[in-house]
Amino acid sequence: MSARSVAQEFFDHMEAGEVEHIIGMTAPGAVVSLVPLGVRGSMAEEGASYLRDLARAFPDLLVRVRRLFVTTDNTAVAEITADGTQAADFLGVTNQEKHFDLDQGWLLEVTPEDMIGGVTAYWDQNQLYRRLGVKRLDKITITAR
Amino acid sequence: MTTDATSAGSSTMSRADTAQAAVTAFFGAYQAQDVERMVDLCADNADFRYVPFEVRTRQRVLHGDGKVRTVGKAIWTALIDAFPDLSNTMINVRSDDEGNVAAQVSIGGTQAKAFGVIACTGGHYDLPHLFVFHVGSDGLIDDIAAYWDNADWNKQLGWLEID
Repeated sequence: MSARSVAQEFFDHMEAGEVEHIIGMTAPGAVVSLVPLGVRGSMAEEGASYLRDLARAFPDLLVRVRRLFVTTDNTAVAEITADGTQAADFLGVTNQEKHFDLDQGWLLEVTPEDMIGGVTAYWDQNQLYRRLGVKRLDKITITAR
Repeated sequence: MTTDATSAGSSTMSRADTAQAAVTAFFGAYQAQDVERMVDLCADNADFRYVPFEVRTRQRVLHGDGKVRTVGKAIWTALIDAFPDLSNTMINVRSDDEGNVAAQVSIGGTQAKAFGVIACTGGHYDLPHLFVFHVGSDGLIDDIAAYWDNADWNKQLGWLEID
């Protein structure tokens, strides 16, 4: 196993909505930072909660890894594209069955034991809102048809 | 290419260190608001992709996607013009032995002019960014991609419309 294959497996499970598998890949005390959501916490709680919401809202989710490399400190750096069709409310956005595609950057810190010790993710929430039909940042639940 | 740009890659440094030095020099030039120097640290045909940069016009969507010397230079110049105290803080830089670099950087500034659709209210922003670079064996950056959250940026500047 390598950090590269750990990362690929992480995104395969994300696509499949297999959150328990992902949590099984994390080291005890693994942390997560979902930068656009202002979420910082543990992978077991905040990370798992986000991934479950994602899987429920986008059951046809596709995750394509566009670029992946591992830095000298064993961090896997991934540029991915996620796309899917909304099937349930997500992050306060009412479901309008809209399709989204969103490019994202993820950092997965991998331990010498090939466990994930830290996850940091970047994307543009404005792009996500736009694709899901949200018109104003202060009225996320009000969407355009 | 400049002599200084090439000197980022000393033969005694590993490829990872060389790449990291090039990226550090790039953000040093950005901090100094020296756009010409930023461009000089990049290869002539360096690719550029600011992922969240989307400008919607009546007919089409313009993306921040192209070359450093055209799209990149124009965006950096416009940013510094609109935010004259634009500055950056490098939080973390990681690299590998093939010239790939990931940099977590905080960028902020105070608005002095309209920027895109965002009218100037004199607001200040600080925003976390992820930059992903590739640095060639000559020590020059040949690819830049960046990720940030425009929702956070727009809210800090008082712009709540999602166009």
